[in-house]
Amino acid sequence: MSETKKIIKGCLAGNRRDQELLYRRHASKLYAVCLQYSGNDEEARDILQEGFIKIFENLEHYKHEGSFEGWMRRITVNTALEKFRCRHNLYRVDDIDAIKEPDAEPDNQDYAGLEANDLLEIIRELPTKYRMVFNLYAIEGYSHKEISKMVNISEGTSKSNLSRARVILQRRVGSYTGLKKKAVNE
Amino acid sequence: MSEKGANIDLLFRNGLKDFEVLPPPGVWDSIHSAVKVKSRPVILLRVAAVITVLLTVSFLTYRWTRELSNTPSQLVLSLNEPIPQPIISVPFDNPKTSVIGNNIKGKSSSDFIVNPSDESIIGEEAAEEVSPISILNLRESKSLSIVKKSRLNGQLLTPQNFSQVNSAEIKYTEFQYIPENISTKPANRWSIAAMASPTYYSRINSGGDELSSQLMSSEQPLFSYSGGVSFSYKISKRVSIQSGLYYSSLGQKVDGINSFSGFGQYNTSKGDHSFEVLTANGTVFTSNPDVFLSSNAADRIVTAYTKDVFDPKKASLAPVSSSLSQNFSYLEFPVIVRYKIIDKTVGINLIGGLSYNLLVHNTVTTTLDGNVYPIGDTKGLNPLSLSSSFGMGMEYNLSGKFSLNLEPTFRYYLNPFSVSTGTFMHPFSFGIFSGVSYKF
Repeated sequence: MSETKKIIKGCLAGNRRDQELLYRRHASKLYAVCLQYSGNDEEARDILQEGFIKIFENLEHYKHEGSFEGWMRRITVNTALEKFRCRHNLYRVDDIDAIKEPDAEPDNQDYAGLEANDLLEIIRELPTKYRMVFNLYAIEGYSHKEISKMVNISEGTSKSNLSRARVILQRRVGSYTGLKKKAVNE
Repeated sequence: MSEKGANIDLLFRNGLKDFEVLPPPGVWDSIHSAVKVKSRPVILLRVAAVITVLLTVSFLTYRWTRELSNTPSQLVLSLNEPIPQPIISVPFDNPKTSVIGNNIKGKSSSDFIVNPSDESIIGEEAAEEVSPISILNLRESKSLSIVKKSRLNGQLLTPQNFSQVNSAEIKYTEFQYIPENISTKPANRWSIAAMASPTYYSRINSGGDELSSQLMSSEQPLFSYSGGVSFSYKISKRVSIQSGLYYSSLGQKVDGINSFSGFGQYNTSKGDHSFEVLTANGTVFTSNPDVFLSSNAADRIVTAYTKDVFDPKKASLAPVSSSLSQNFSYLEFPVIVRYKIIDKTVGINLIGGLSYNLLVHNTVTTTLDGNVYPIGDTKGLNPLSLSSSFGMGMEYNLSGKFSLNLEPTFRYYLNPFSVSTGTFMHPFSFGIFSGVSYKF
C-alpha cells in the first residue's frame, strides 16, 4: 500500500495525525492555487480552509484513480469558483481601458528574470472575471465550453475575457521586465 | 496575437507549476475543529441507536413477560360488575377474621372501615353478631376502604347487600382471591454481584495492511484481568437485565525495541517527544527524555536520532530492556440481558449484551529487574469503545439469598481499538468470571 493510501485510510478512520499529515504535505501547493484565484490573502485563506474541509468530507469518494494531488486541486479550484459565484464578482464589468498603463516600456519578448512570486502578483492584479477565466484556461487547461459551464457565462464571453486577460498580462509582464531591466541598468 | 497569447499562457503555466506558498498559521486548527465537530454526531447517533434498540428490547421483553404472568386466575372486583361469587364465599367461622368496634349494629356504614389487610372491621365496639362481611376473605394488593356516604340502615355489609351499595365510594385498587395457603411474600427481584476474571486477550486485524501484520508478529498479549460490581433486576421469572461498573486491564508486550537509559544529557529535542514507535495498536510517543530507543526492524522507530546520528553504545548508555509494554485500562458500563434456561439449585443463564468502555489509563513502560520505568503513551486510541459480550452463566444457590456464579464470557470490541494509520484492530477477550451474588 502506498503511503498516500495509508494516509487516506487513516484520515477516513478519523485519525488526527493522518489528517494533519495530509494537510502539511499538500497545504503549501494548494495555498498557492488559492492565491492565484483570490484577490487578497484573506480570501485565499478562506478558500484553503473550506477546500480542505471538503477534501476531508469527500475523501471516501476518491477512487484512487488518477493523481490525488490533481483531485485535491480540482476541489480547491471549485471551492474558489463557488466563493466567487456567491459574491457575484464574476459579473462585474471591468473596462480594459481602466487598466493602468505600464510604468515602463513593455518587453514582450524577454520574460527572463520573472519569478513565480512576480507571476503570482501579476495574475492577482487582474480583474476577477479575467483572472478566473485565465486561470481555468491557461493554468488548469479547461476548454471555453467547460469554462462557460463552470462560470456560467457564454463561450464567447469566456474567449473575450481570456483575450482581455492576456492583453493585460502582457502589459504587466512587459512592465515588470522593463522595470527590472531599468533597475539593473541604473 | 494567438502566438503571443500562447506564450503568455505558457509563461504563467510553467512559472506557477509546483509553486508553493506556506499557508498562514492557524488554518489547520480551523480545519481540524470543523472536521472533528462534523464527525461527532455520527458517533452519537450510533450510540443513541444502540441504546434505543436495547431499551426497546428490554421494554418488549418486560411487557411480554408481564402478559404471561397475568393469567386468568386473577379476579378483579368492580362496583359496576356483579361480584364474583368466589371472592366472598368464604366460611363464616374464619378464625382469623375479627370485628373490632362498638355497637356497629344500628350505625351507618360510614362509621366503619372495612380493612381487608388485617381482615377486621373497625368500629366503636365489636358487635356480637358477626356479619358475613367480617369474613370477607379478600386480600387486596394495596387497600380497600369504604368511606362515608353509604347507608345500610344498620345492616352490615353482606354479600347480598354489597352490590346495593352503589352510592358508596369504594376505593380499591385490585382485589384478588388468594387461597390461604399461598404466600404473598414478594419475590427477590434485585440482586448485586461481585465478579472478577483473568482474561485471555487477543485481536483481529480487519482491513490492515502488510505492515500491521508484521507489527503484530512481534507483539504478545500481556496478562489481562477484569472485575467489578453489577446490579441486576429480574423483569420476569427467566429474564433479567443487568448493569454495573467494571474495571478491566489489558496490554501487550512489544518485542524488538531496545531501550537505554541516560539519554537525557544528549537529548536536545525541542518537541514534546523524541521517539515514535509503530505498533499495531497505535504509535507510541515517548515522554521520558532520559530514554533512548532503537530497533533492528527498519522504519519501526521514527526519530531524529537514527543510527547514523547517535550510537547508544558509543555514548555508553545503559541498556534497560529489549521490549516495551503497552498497558490500557478501561471502565466498563455494561448493559446485559440474562435469560435463565434452568432454574434449579444449579441455574444456567444465557448472557448477552453491550458494554461502553471508557479508556482511563494508557501507559507504555519497560521493565528492568522487576522495576517498571515509564516510557510514554500510545497515541490514536479510541477513548470510548463499544464491545459486545456473550456467555453462559452457572449459578449455584447457596441459600435463598446468596449464590455462587461462574460465567465463561466472550467479548468482542465492535469498533477498532485505535484509529492509527492502516490498522483496524478489534480486540477480543475470553474470561471465566467468578463471584458471589446476593438477592434482595
